[in-house]
Amino acid sequence: MDITIDDDQRLLRDTALAFAQKALTPARIRELETTEHGFDAKVWRQMAEMGWAGAVFPEEYGGSGAGLLELALIVEALGQAAVPSPIYSTVVEAGLLLLDAGSPAQRENYLPRIAAGDAIMTTAITEPGGGLAPGEIRTNITPAGNGFTVNGTKLFVRDAGAAEGIICLGRSGKGETDLTLVIVPRDAPGLKLRRLQAAGGESLWEAIFDNATVDADAIVGEPGGAWPHVARLHLRGAALKSAELVGIGQASLDLTLSYSKTRIQFERPIGSFQGVQHHCAEMYRDLEVSRLLAWQAAASLGEGLAGDRETAMAKAKTSEAMPALTRTAHQIHGAIAYYRDYPLELYYHRAIAAQAAYGDAGHHRRALARLLREDLGRFRGDSPHDLPVHYV
Amino acid sequence: MELKLTADEAAFRTEVRDFLKRELTPEVWQAHRDLNEQGMWTPDFTKAFRRKLGAAGYIGMGWPKEYGGGGRSRVYQAIFWDEMEYHRAPGLDRSITYVPNAIMALGSAAQKADLLPKMSRGELSWFVGYSEPDAGSDLASLKTRAVEDGDHFVITGQKSFSSDAHMADYGWIATRTDPTSSKHRGLSMFIVDMTLPGVTVTKYPTLAGWTHHAVHFDQVRVPRSMMVGELHQGWKVVMGAIDFERAALSGAGLVGYQFDRLLAWCMQDREGAGRKLDDPLVQDELVRLAIEAEGARLMSYWLASLHAKGFKPQHETSLALLVKRETARRLDVAGLELLGPFAPLRTGSPWAALEGEVEVEYRDHLYFQFAAGGFDITRNVVATRGLGLPR
Repeated sequence: MDITIDDDQRLLRDTALAFAQKALTPARIRELETTEHGFDAKVWRQMAEMGWAGAVFPEEYGGSGAGLLELALIVEALGQAAVPSPIYSTVVEAGLLLLDAGSPAQRENYLPRIAAGDAIMTTAITEPGGGLAPGEIRTNITPAGNGFTVNGTKLFVRDAGAAEGIICLGRSGKGETDLTLVIVPRDAPGLKLRRLQAAGGESLWEAIFDNATVDADAIVGEPGGAWPHVARLHLRGAALKSAELVGIGQASLDLTLSYSKTRIQFERPIGSFQGVQHHCAEMYRDLEVSRLLAWQAAASLGEGLAGDRETAMAKAKTSEAMPALTRTAHQIHGAIAYYRDYPLELYYHRAIAAQAAYGDAGHHRRALARLLREDLGRFRGDSPHDLPVHYV
Repeated sequence: MELKLTADEAAFRTEVRDFLKRELTPEVWQAHRDLNEQGMWTPDFTKAFRRKLGAAGYIGMGWPKEYGGGGRSRVYQAIFWDEMEYHRAPGLDRSITYVPNAIMALGSAAQKADLLPKMSRGELSWFVGYSEPDAGSDLASLKTRAVEDGDHFVITGQKSFSSDAHMADYGWIATRTDPTSSKHRGLSMFIVDMTLPGVTVTKYPTLAGWTHHAVHFDQVRVPRSMMVGELHQGWKVVMGAIDFERAALSGAGLVGYQFDRLLAWCMQDREGAGRKLDDPLVQDELVRLAIEAEGARLMSYWLASLHAKGFKPQHETSLALLVKRETARRLDVAGLELLGPFAPLRTGSPWAALEGEVEVEYRDHLYFQFAAGGFDITRNVVATRGLGLPR
């Protein structure tokens, strides 16, 4: 057993952080929040050149075959520097979905271009119901002519405005999980996009499919066989958002420590007061516990283990603890950080978005409660101990 | 990152678990469990059990080979501590964790040669004499005096909150040797044979049900050879090995056991009331507790992994202990709530739930909040030593 990252992973994280912290000024980050695409295309290209866009793809698709833990360390660094990028839409969602379920032709078409930073792709899964359950999917995918017609409304579609294609989940039969994925080009007739205005700088969209038509080869995976792939996508997203939340927490703590050491009141740095020290110690405690849970989630999924328990634990913890950490950070800063020109607000907003993404804390606690009821062995993490039942 | 135990580590866990199950049978439990003792077992049984741990090679397995140890990595020690805690086995205390490591790091050649072999066999019991009536959080203000007199030092003073002093062969005693110099300077550390004339142990019943002790030293003559480290350098000795005790205390087993016990309770089909587990609010509580327990488990093995890879974690050790003990307290509190009207029933009472263990631990673990640093002092340590905030 080894609950630490190795030297290569440490180097990757340090490199990613050094790059991310220099890539954009806080002013530019704020400016990007007001743009249609929400990210800086030049910075994304640089990230692709460093190999991050394709990191988790096999070498045959221009990647380096890294694991999900490596990707988690990259998004942790991006979260820590508040750098917006299409890494979730294009890599975590569409890219790994295509690697997981796509045809050889689809993989060869998209993955090398994603790895090179040439293609932005995304997925459209969640609907106005707002949940992640298969039963909520109302969008219909029906055979028409040589291909399919798509009808329905999708929400929270990341980077739809910049994507060349949207992989859409829709119902293809009567069963709860009779669901299918198709790639819809962004300029397909019948597809209408509307930008949502969301906290945290991500470019989120409404996508209305009104008799959008696609060819037969647009289908990803088996007809009716989409759900296991989508469920894995949600787990991946949740594990990686947990790591991003850790980055958000780290940045908030760092800002708070540096302020506490330099802000003088009552003729001493406020960080010398135990009231402030205890807040900081608790922020640090929650951060380190969250970090280990997030790493464990990414490593489990990356190793091909079920990872459902580990991911739900990580996202449930980080979705509560890291936004709370940003609130305490603001409490210690006082009014100064309430102004937009102080960088703490970036993290306050990003925490709002990240806790909501791929299932909030309640969603993941419900998933754990289901494991508790239905699969006690998994719930207990395959514990070596028999339950102590001798006295009950 | 390697989330699972290696085959060898897993085999070791099985071996330890089998050893503990074999040694701590229900009959042994019945005969030697003693809630009037801090360690929850009779002193005689604790001492005998420690010898068995020694004979099985568990005490010295992580010690360097030069001290007769097994040189095994800290991951194995963490597994051992985990299993010991999970099975609530006796003897996992300073006598096999803190003191031997302090002697290895700071003791004289003669002290090492004399004491370490006996300690690896589990033959010695220790108490640690730091706290005094007027020196708790502010340890450096301690007043117990050691006055040089030829080849001896003469110790006079009082140590308080002295865990297991009544069964100790030796005391690990911090004294003031230079009353003129300020706080941290002027302290010296001694190993004191508890059979020496002038040592008396007095009793204080605690609210947890067990008896705690104070130790009075009245002109106790201790040979100079039993001083640890150099004269007036005792603070270094106090600080030098304290992280080792905290690492041992941060084992994951207690929290794992507390959780499993509550889970078992919630799965019980109670006459007329069904299973607690079928209540969604209970499920949510168990889920929240499971996440906290998993965090504490990861921290414990993270610390062991850092040691195993040659890092020297310091404040991280305090952090891991804080996480473990806060989680244990959360589980104590949750236990009261989940047991409902059965919560106050004590061990031995008709209808006592979970043999009254939840009520015992709710009282016993109160000391987590103030002992071996305690929650607030640990936050101070983490904030200043770990996060670099000014004192």
